[in-house]
Amino acid sequence: MILLETNNRVVEESISVRIKNALAGNKPENTNIFISDYAGVLFHISNLEGQKNQLRVSIALKFYTELQQHGATELLNRVYGSYVTEPESGFNFSLLVDLEKIPNDWELLVKKIGQFKRNCFASVFEKYFDFQEKGEEGHKRAVINYREDETMYVEAKADRVTVVFSTVFRDSDDIVLGKVFMQELREGRRASQTSPQVLFTHKEPPLELQDTNARVGDEVGYITFVLFPRHTNRAARENTIDLIHMFRDYLHYHIKCTKAYIHSCMRAKTTDFIKVLNRARPESKKSNEKKTISGRSFIRKD
Amino acid sequence: MTTTLKPYLSVVKHSLDAAICISQFYSQVVERHSKPEIEMQTNRELILTPMLISRNERERVFIESSINSIRVSIAIKQCDEIERLLCDKFTRFMMKRAENFFILRRKPIAGYDITFLITNMHVEQMYRNKLIDFIIRFMEEIDKEISEMKLAINARARICSEEFLKHF
Repeated sequence: MILLETNNRVVEESISVRIKNALAGNKPENTNIFISDYAGVLFHISNLEGQKNQLRVSIALKFYTELQQHGATELLNRVYGSYVTEPESGFNFSLLVDLEKIPNDWELLVKKIGQFKRNCFASVFEKYFDFQEKGEEGHKRAVINYREDETMYVEAKADRVTVVFSTVFRDSDDIVLGKVFMQELREGRRASQTSPQVLFTHKEPPLELQDTNARVGDEVGYITFVLFPRHTNRAARENTIDLIHMFRDYLHYHIKCTKAYIHSCMRAKTTDFIKVLNRARPESKKSNEKKTISGRSFIRKD
Repeated sequence: MTTTLKPYLSVVKHSLDAAICISQFYSQVVERHSKPEIEMQTNRELILTPMLISRNERERVFIESSINSIRVSIAIKQCDEIERLLCDKFTRFMMKRAENFFILRRKPIAGYDITFLITNMHVEQMYRNKLIDFIIRFMEEIDKEISEMKLAINARARICSEEFLKHF
């Protein structure tokens, strides 16, 4: 699994289990599940006011108000249509599935609910991709604090959309590994002609963000994606959003994987060294135990 | 093995062979105790002149010997940030397991990455030549391992980024 999935599998599975259960005519069970996802996202699957056949799926994002300014609510309303319901208290957006009125294409619905988080993010990108398509310039740059001290900036120009991620490497080792990944990402363009341009700056924000209060420091990295019309057109758009909103998680996931791999290498090598060192110890003396003809141990007592 | 590594290792081997000439020696300070004199440094008479063997400014071996113990410190080649990180992780990883390594010192001496402490007890319990072989083998393999891991990291980063960008 190199690429991370954009849907949330736990959400999907817990809903499809309940739908299948309802289709089979079983009695609906009580439901109350909390599921967390990347970027501090929290899902809550519960029954609406104790009615076991009403399944409510809610999402809480810390930065939902920022997304709302870019039309997140409209987009979610468009995507989920009749399933939208009043937001649960403490959550930002809720969907309601009636287990007694399950549509025939319920699998599609489950897939759509699995993409809940992704669709929240999608609004910002869609808005700015539209600006680019219409050639509108001069719109304010979108700033989404998608995690604590980590920010995403989206800006549209007539010929391109730039997406800048700021990411914090909490561990000093992560900085080193992160740099290697960035280096390769910058050069990774050679592998495919259609990929966007990727720029990387460490410690200081790129020139576009020079006038903002972007973080400066040893542990901060900035990654800029320059998306051209071939990525933002209607056909490629969905795919681009899928990829780009997962980028930060993808990067950090692979840094962690690399560290785990290094660790297993070291463990193997260390046991190897211990084996070599143990060869320096004389073999322990063969035990004086002898067996009698019937197979029992024979111990000489002097 | 490269042409410069071989003489380097052979010099280290012979120097170790000469240095591991140690025997039981009771402490002059605490009665009925035997302590590694190289660590105690209580009497200058018991400490021999240390030897420094260096291949280049980064890779060197420092052998300090005393009447009943010797200390072998190794500085491992570190060209860039990743190698420094890997070396640091690796030596730390080993030193956490020092009790399995018998002769490994829990902390390296200043300026070196890893230190072995061999006392007369070790020499009595283990074959001397095999101990030396171990240190030589360690020096050979640690460089190889670090460069292999570095390559693995780079390869991984490349695959990840290509895979990501390919999907656009």
